[in-house]
Amino acid sequence: MTKKVESYSEAIAKLRRIVSEIEGSELDVDLLSEKVQEATRLIKLCKEKLYKVDEDVKKVLEELEA
Amino acid sequence: MALKNDKDKKMEADTPQGCTLYELTNQIHCILSETFSSTYWVRAETSDVRVNASSGHCYLEFIEKDPNTNQLIAKARGAIWARTFRLLKSYFEMETGQTFTSGLKVLVKVSVEFHEIYGLSLNVVDIDPSYTMGDMMRRRQEIIRRLQKEGVFELNKELALPELTQRLAIITSPTAAGYEDFMNQLTHNPQGYQFYIKLFPALMQGEKTEDSVIAALDRIYEHQELFDAVVIIRGGGATSDLNSFDSYNLASNCAQFPLPILTGIGHERDDTIVDLVANTRLKTPTAVAAFLLDRIDRTANELSLLQQQLIQTVNNRLLEQRNFLQLLSVRFPERVRNRLERSLNELQRIAVNLPTIVALLITRQKQGLEQARTGLHTAIDHRKNKEMQFLQLTEQFIRMASPDYILKRGYSLTLKEGHIIKSASEIEKNDKLIIRWSDGTARTNVEEVETNIHS
Repeated sequence: MTKKVESYSEAIAKLRRIVSEIEGSELDVDLLSEKVQEATRLIKLCKEKLYKVDEDVKKVLEELEA
Repeated sequence: MALKNDKDKKMEADTPQGCTLYELTNQIHCILSETFSSTYWVRAETSDVRVNASSGHCYLEFIEKDPNTNQLIAKARGAIWARTFRLLKSYFEMETGQTFTSGLKVLVKVSVEFHEIYGLSLNVVDIDPSYTMGDMMRRRQEIIRRLQKEGVFELNKELALPELTQRLAIITSPTAAGYEDFMNQLTHNPQGYQFYIKLFPALMQGEKTEDSVIAALDRIYEHQELFDAVVIIRGGGATSDLNSFDSYNLASNCAQFPLPILTGIGHERDDTIVDLVANTRLKTPTAVAAFLLDRIDRTANELSLLQQQLIQTVNNRLLEQRNFLQLLSVRFPERVRNRLERSLNELQRIAVNLPTIVALLITRQKQGLEQARTGLHTAIDHRKNKEMQFLQLTEQFIRMASPDYILKRGYSLTLKEGHIIKSASEIEKNDKLIIRWSDGTARTNVEEVETNIHS
């Protein structure tokens, strides 16, 4: 999978796609575990963005001259 | 006029002594009072409006500009006495939703006053707010039309708020009452959502508001990639000066800003033009905070919904597969049995038919063999006869070719010195020859040799 961290919008879009892929049942069961892992990673990423302080963002804004 | 005439007489008499300033100004006072004894409705623009804090009187300038050149063409001092001002101000502001301040087109009823010390002044006794409203409306419409014509009016509305709107650039005055509430609402939300808020301070009232807010927007513009949205808020409180938010420059800046703008300028009357061009218009800072919380709530709900959906669909998929496998394991033995039975039947059918087929095959092979055998015999006999004939002929030929057989038939051999003579030319006169027959020999001398010429 890609090393670059997705934005929230990108992550949620990927997540929607995975869920609909699994729902659509055209997905091979062999790929299921891989997809579930990826989806779990995306959910975790989104939750962190929602609920966990991103110190980097905080720091950049604090240092920004208003 | 009597006074003047008196003075004229005096001046004629000797060197001019002049009248006192008071005498002159008092005369002006009298004439003006007589001439402008009534009150007058006047259209003018307010300027330099100030209220004396202790007396409560309002002092201002009335001005008029040439509409084409914008040059000042008239100016007069004005005053509204405290008692009148209290009434007119609240009436005016309630009707227009606009602070009574400088830069307004007003229709006021004035009396013309002249004071020996303070000079000419227009004393306001009444005001018609509908005139100001009409003018404001006209100006607003002009600005809206201009923004629409330039194709920028809808630009900020067309921007989509990101799915996660949490990095906010706030333009407000840090001392404004609404700001702290706004911050508290967002940062202490019970769900624990994260917001990253950066304040870009600006003046939110007074004449410098427009430039100050534009400057803040310019600073945000330089760091736009750090933010999801811009929030312009102003503390609520009494209806206040909103002219700046109806300005073309600020509205044009907001409309064309690359990040979505949310407004909570805090007023009751119709939207300002900035509100109209903003991506999302809300009434107050509190409403903006509530909107952002609601939005992030929805974002979070969608996420948890997706999570549930994922779990459920995966479970369903697995269940489906398990059921399928189970179904297979139930059906499998039956299928195998069916298959075996079919194979067995096939075999039996073959087994039944096999002897007949084999017998037929054997018969056919036998016939073939028989034919071959008969053919072989015939061929051998034929060949044998041919060989016998040949042998007999050869034997006969050899017998007939032997010297004994030839000598017996009356032929003889003539030898000279042990060699058989085959030609008369080999013989000369007096040669001693031996003649042989089948049953004996004779020695002889040659008397004469004759050779056939033609041989």
